[in-house]
Amino acid sequence: MIAPAAPSVFLVDDDQSVRKSLVRLLTAAGYDVEAFASAREFLARPQPTGASCLVLDVRMPRLSGLELQETLVTTGHRSSIVFITGYRDVRASVSAIKAGAIDFLVKPVNDQELLGAIERALTKAHQAERQHARVTEIRNRIKTLTPREEEVFALVVTGMLNKQIASELGVTEKMVKVHRGRVMQKMRARSLAELVRLADEAAVIAAKS
Amino acid sequence: MGGVGWDVIGAVGLILLEAVLIAGLLLQRAHRRRAELLLSERLRFESLLSELSARLIPVAVSDVNAEIERGLQRVVEFLRMDRASLHEYVPGAQTLRISWAVQGTERLSPITEVDQFPWTAGQLQRGQVVRFWRLDDLPPEAAIDRQSYRNLGTRSSLSFPLSAGGSMLGALSFDATLDGRTWPDELVERLQLLAEVVAGALERKRLELSLAERLRFETLLSEQTATFSSLMATEVDREIERALRRITDFFRADRGSLAEFSHDNRTARITHSWAAEGALPAPSTVSLAEIPWVVARLQVGEVVRFSRIQELPEKEAAGDRETYLRLGIKSQVEIPLRIRGLLIGALAFNTIGAERNWPDELVQRLQLLGEVFANILSRRWSEMQAQQLRENLTHVGRVAAMGELTASLAHELNQPLTAILSNAQAAQRLLASDAVNLEVLREILADIVEDDKRAGAVIDRLHGLLKKSSIEFTELDVNQLVGEVSRLVSGDAGLRNVPLRLDLIPRLPRVRGDRVQLQQVVLNLVLNGFDAVQQSATGDRTVVLRTAKEGSAGVRIAVRDSGCGIDDADLDCIFQAFYTTKSSGLGMGLAIARSIVEAHGGRLEAQNNPEGGATFFFTLPGIEQAA
Repeated sequence: MIAPAAPSVFLVDDDQSVRKSLVRLLTAAGYDVEAFASAREFLARPQPTGASCLVLDVRMPRLSGLELQETLVTTGHRSSIVFITGYRDVRASVSAIKAGAIDFLVKPVNDQELLGAIERALTKAHQAERQHARVTEIRNRIKTLTPREEEVFALVVTGMLNKQIASELGVTEKMVKVHRGRVMQKMRARSLAELVRLADEAAVIAAKS
Repeated sequence: MGGVGWDVIGAVGLILLEAVLIAGLLLQRAHRRRAELLLSERLRFESLLSELSARLIPVAVSDVNAEIERGLQRVVEFLRMDRASLHEYVPGAQTLRISWAVQGTERLSPITEVDQFPWTAGQLQRGQVVRFWRLDDLPPEAAIDRQSYRNLGTRSSLSFPLSAGGSMLGALSFDATLDGRTWPDELVERLQLLAEVVAGALERKRLELSLAERLRFETLLSEQTATFSSLMATEVDREIERALRRITDFFRADRGSLAEFSHDNRTARITHSWAAEGALPAPSTVSLAEIPWVVARLQVGEVVRFSRIQELPEKEAAGDRETYLRLGIKSQVEIPLRIRGLLIGALAFNTIGAERNWPDELVQRLQLLGEVFANILSRRWSEMQAQQLRENLTHVGRVAAMGELTASLAHELNQPLTAILSNAQAAQRLLASDAVNLEVLREILADIVEDDKRAGAVIDRLHGLLKKSSIEFTELDVNQLVGEVSRLVSGDAGLRNVPLRLDLIPRLPRVRGDRVQLQQVVLNLVLNGFDAVQQSATGDRTVVLRTAKEGSAGVRIAVRDSGCGIDDADLDCIFQAFYTTKSSGLGMGLAIARSIVEAHGGRLEAQNNPEGGATFFFTLPGIEQAA
């Protein structure tokens, strides 16, 4: 484990003995486990920082696992979710996977399976975390642009020529050149291609969230 | 000289004549006196006889024996004998003896061992008087009798058969024990009169007893019929046994049994039997092939009876004879039980210890009983079919209910299994690491054991529900039963987010019923309640399971929901089979539940609550507590 702290696994299951045994297993496998008896209890906890994985029982009284997933997705929670269920339910598993769950495991779940899913979840969470960090970075750069520079940026990445941008914005071509240079500098893009990629990344993520 | 001589001769002759005359007179007087004595004795005896018969006539049945004993005493004293006995034959039982003996003569026991006097009994049976003045007078074939008489101290004896209307009632016998004595014809004649008087008394006693018995029998019959017609199916068995016992006792048989014949008339299953004390119980099955002749008679509706096995036809019933011999049956009366001409069984009473007569009159009565029993059997058949149908339905209902419960039960079973697996795999990992923490391993193993038990308990509950067991009535605690159901559905309640509240009244009367069936009724009502509040999805979702007393001795179990209630139009039909307001469901639940409750002597009803929702409740009769 290269990360400074052991990767976090959050476990939500209403059954005490299941909770206890899974905490033991995951701890023995080297994870830092935090367990909760209900979805509410988990939600009451401050959102974790860093990559984390959520192992979630599907059927729980009051707020079910699926309902918790929905809540997390809408609040932009970035934990990857591994569902465990006592009851094979195709519809529930499809909707869970569609909503971004890593896996939908049927109890009693084998450790290899569970740990494999958790690893994948954590990998994905790391990726998401990195991507999130990058998008944040790009957005922060965008925030440094003036409104006029932002307009120029938006048009440059569509492939317009300076002349076209000038006529579009009703400014001189020279002014466009100046703004464009500033944009390149502020966005730390060494080429037009790089600038387009930065715009893409920000837009994609923006569209996603 | 000559003249004197004739005078002398004449005088002597006269004297002689006179002497002869006197002697003749004397002799005649003696004769007369004897005749007079004889006459007066005879008169005295006859007046004794008429006195005895006068005394015997008005006497109550219960006093007849005492009166007979007094009579015997007087006769013995009058005729200067040593002992007199009356032997009363009792059909199917030992022969009773009333006897009286002068002082110094052995008194006899109240039972006559008839088989110790085979020759005498045979003679009497043929209507012969048996008399002998010395034991040596007995013929060689009476060797056993001779020994028996000797054992009783009898030297001379005179016995009369007592009979009336052609049937043997008993015997009257007089013994001399101190000295041998003769039994002149004239005495025999006189005593014959006494025998007739006694026979009359015996017959009257027997008739009166039989009349009383018939009355008692008729009471028994009507009681039995009344009892049977008002019986619940589950009580029939007990009652049949009780009836067999009463009837067996009543007819003083050794054994009574009710057999059901298989459809192919191959085997008879003894469903109920009663054996008197000391008699072996009846075998549980009899192969009808072993009594082919009897079965053929029964099939055409004939009563088969025999007081001795020898009465069965030697050739045609050879197999039957052998079977009865093997079973130790001495005499039997067997009544066919037929429904619409079809032989379905037989009612049999038999003796093991001794042979006995089964008179026509008794057979007629048994035939009446046979009809009662045939009715019961026929009713039991149809009820058993109904019961089987109900059990099947119950099973279907239970399986359907199980389907509804499967999700939560699978979940419940998976939890401990998950915990066990994860614990075991955690332990494997711990063991593979460098520093093994034994304390943690110990905890893990303890948890595995606990979870395994938990899984076992879930499976037991499943088994209990799914098992297609036959109905078993036991004494039940309703609150306990309701509690078990609530535990069974607690998982489901949680998952469906329906709070289930228990509201149990302590110290309820206990009820008699089938645990699984009644649980199913409660389960069905609770699951319906869950569905109802889920459909409404507004406001209070609580389902309340409540027990209460019903009347003075009954119990009421109610399931109350806060759903949308039942349409008035539906209220009437919800208990019908295949009627459902749910999108999924067979519509069998409530129909089955109602039939179960009714089979338990209760009723199941539904009503809408004034504040919304519906309440389903059923009642059960409580077991009356012995004070």
